[in-house]
Amino acid sequence: MIGTLALVLFVTLLAVGTLLAGVKHYRYDGAGANVVATLCFGWLLGWVTGPLLIGDDSTLRMDYFKLLPIPARKLAYAMLGAAFADVSLAFSLIAFAALIGLGAQSGAAAALTGVAAVLLNLALAVVASQVATAVFGPVISSRRGRDFTAMLLALLITLLSLASSLVPFVAARLTDGHSPALADVVRILPSGWGAVAVDAASRADWGLTAASLGGLAALIAVLVLAWPPLLARRLTMSGRGSRRRARARQHAPHHGHVLPATPLGAVLGRELRLYSRSVLRSMLLMISFLVGVVVAIVLAVSGKMTGLPFSGLMFTLIAAACFTNCYGDDGTSLWLTLVVPGAARADVRGRVWAWFLVVAPAGLLLTLVLTAVSGQTWAWPWVLAAEPALVIGCAGLLALVGAWSVNGPAPDGGPSPARVLKTHLALVAIPVVVLFPAAALLIPGALAHSLLLRWLAVPVAIAWAGFLTWYSTQAAVRRLESHGPEIFTRVRSAAA
Amino acid sequence: MDGHDKPALEFDGLFKRFGDHVAVDHIDLKVPAGSFFGLVGPNGAGKTTALSMAVGLLRPDGGAVRIFGHDVWADPVAAKALIGVLPDGLALPDRLTGREILRYLGLLRGLPRDVVEQRADELLTVLELDDAETTAVVDYSTGMKKKITLATALLHSPRLLLLDEPFEAVDPVSAATIRKILQDFVAAGGSVIFSSHVMALIERLCDHLAVLAGGKVVASGALDDVRGAQSLDDAFVHIVGGRSDNAKGLSWLASLSRCGPRSRGGRRPARG
Repeated sequence: MIGTLALVLFVTLLAVGTLLAGVKHYRYDGAGANVVATLCFGWLLGWVTGPLLIGDDSTLRMDYFKLLPIPARKLAYAMLGAAFADVSLAFSLIAFAALIGLGAQSGAAAALTGVAAVLLNLALAVVASQVATAVFGPVISSRRGRDFTAMLLALLITLLSLASSLVPFVAARLTDGHSPALADVVRILPSGWGAVAVDAASRADWGLTAASLGGLAALIAVLVLAWPPLLARRLTMSGRGSRRRARARQHAPHHGHVLPATPLGAVLGRELRLYSRSVLRSMLLMISFLVGVVVAIVLAVSGKMTGLPFSGLMFTLIAAACFTNCYGDDGTSLWLTLVVPGAARADVRGRVWAWFLVVAPAGLLLTLVLTAVSGQTWAWPWVLAAEPALVIGCAGLLALVGAWSVNGPAPDGGPSPARVLKTHLALVAIPVVVLFPAAALLIPGALAHSLLLRWLAVPVAIAWAGFLTWYSTQAAVRRLESHGPEIFTRVRSAAA
Repeated sequence: MDGHDKPALEFDGLFKRFGDHVAVDHIDLKVPAGSFFGLVGPNGAGKTTALSMAVGLLRPDGGAVRIFGHDVWADPVAAKALIGVLPDGLALPDRLTGREILRYLGLLRGLPRDVVEQRADELLTVLELDDAETTAVVDYSTGMKKKITLATALLHSPRLLLLDEPFEAVDPVSAATIRKILQDFVAAGGSVIFSSHVMALIERLCDHLAVLAGGKVVASGALDDVRGAQSLDDAFVHIVGGRSDNAKGLSWLASLSRCGPRSRGGRRPARG
């Protein structure tokens, strides 16, 4: 209840804020239209993506009408009409009223144009939202689709919170007239056509006014015409994809063939697919990336460049710490490995290679690019010793830690306290274990101003990491071979 | 051929304890090669525990399990190469599609790629999973999950199948398909051991069975020897010591209305 109230309050504030942005007077000519066009884009984007991200929980579900003897076309338009009975339209009405406010600053004709633009924008919002749901609804109703949208939502929220520091910057660019490209983009998008019409009306450019409003009306008409066949497709299709598509895929070449047809290739294929499809794994990778990189970039934007060369290291380290529970996180599917004779070796080596292939290119590239961009030349021996050592050394170490310490999920399905503790410990322990030979050369080298010592750290660190990963992989294989059933019992009792 | 005269599966004094609870209590059992063998017993009898020890998923506290003479725990590579396993209630890498799982397992077992592709095609078609080609296993129904797990058990053409509740939550059409596959497998010389609660199914499919209760084998042998002249249902209740007078304790159940609020006034509801 409090959550709903807070949401209503938040959306009301957003709507009123949008309205005020339209009423406000700007120094630069046309800045108001730019701002209103940008804000309308935000609202329309919300209409199109909202049902997809939050889930289509409309009161009138399409599925209710599947079995009724109503002609498809009639049903389609009835559903579209029903979609206009939506409380959220009230908020959008307040927000889009910014167009009337914008017009009212220049006279009655522009204000009237604003009224027409508001109505067209509202219609576009509802129709586009329905069409988007019909197009993407079947895709997102599968688990893989839901995983994807959950990821997208998490990414969006994180990026929005990070980007909030950029809002003043963007707002300044839009209103000072120094960034015509940005202004052009927000005006060319359909969400900006209403603002363009009002702006044109204020300059008595009636041709552009008519074209903009006419364009909006035409777009709505096209979407309305496209709607019945889309709805018909959705009603006759299960959430699992059409049969025709299934058949087509069956004979398509399999991209797994890039990998060797060996037990190691099999595990590698499984792991690489799980990295891209498992919501837990993608989420962990995303967290590693955002915390490691975006934070450093946001700092760099505000002038603090010292951290930039090390953000690749942060990404690698967090990605390593997050994946120290590989067997615990994969749950009881470990039985498949245990019933196949001699599969333990391939399983461990496949996991080691897969983590390396997923993390190393990104980590190395980030380190090289960001160190170069930062201009911190003193950092080169440090990052060139540390980053390759981390991606090589951690790959094997993860498998060993994962095979020795198995944490099942907590009863609520989330990570257990022990797993969280292990991740935090790993954040401290991994750099100590992997990087101490490098540090033993880099720190004295820096103190003694010896370039030789600092650059010597690079081969020493890589050689140590290579040994570490080779030894850890062997030890993890032995552990899985000797204690496979015990590891399995741990994940099974956690799952039960 | 290696192990042909040996039992397909042999439990030799098999023992497992969880804390104070003895789950499997020194079981001795021989499953003849070429038999269709049913493992029945009430809930908690130790069926899943025994099968888990037989396939290498749970380490026994004592005794031995042999598959065609190969000790599962002393010589796991030879023993595991001969078996196909369908466990109950365990996960698969469920973000993969059915075909991807079969492809993964086939290559993991060292089969050539073309053999894997051909067998995966046939298994998906026979088990009617070919329409779900693009569906990840996480979106499968329970019955479909059983079928894809059965496909993983069959993929490498094992000599013995160990199946824990293979027919649970499977629709009748799929059940008929699975029955046919298993019957053909046995007819071709394979051996099947499966656990089930459904006596009618055991009676219909199996030539041998064992009854487990309280972690012990309380009866085993050829189907006709175990059930005698009665139905397997009756024989089972008799063997595991079910008390037919158990239901008498619920005499109030048939006369609930007497306890209803209206009966407090002394008026008894009219009866039939």
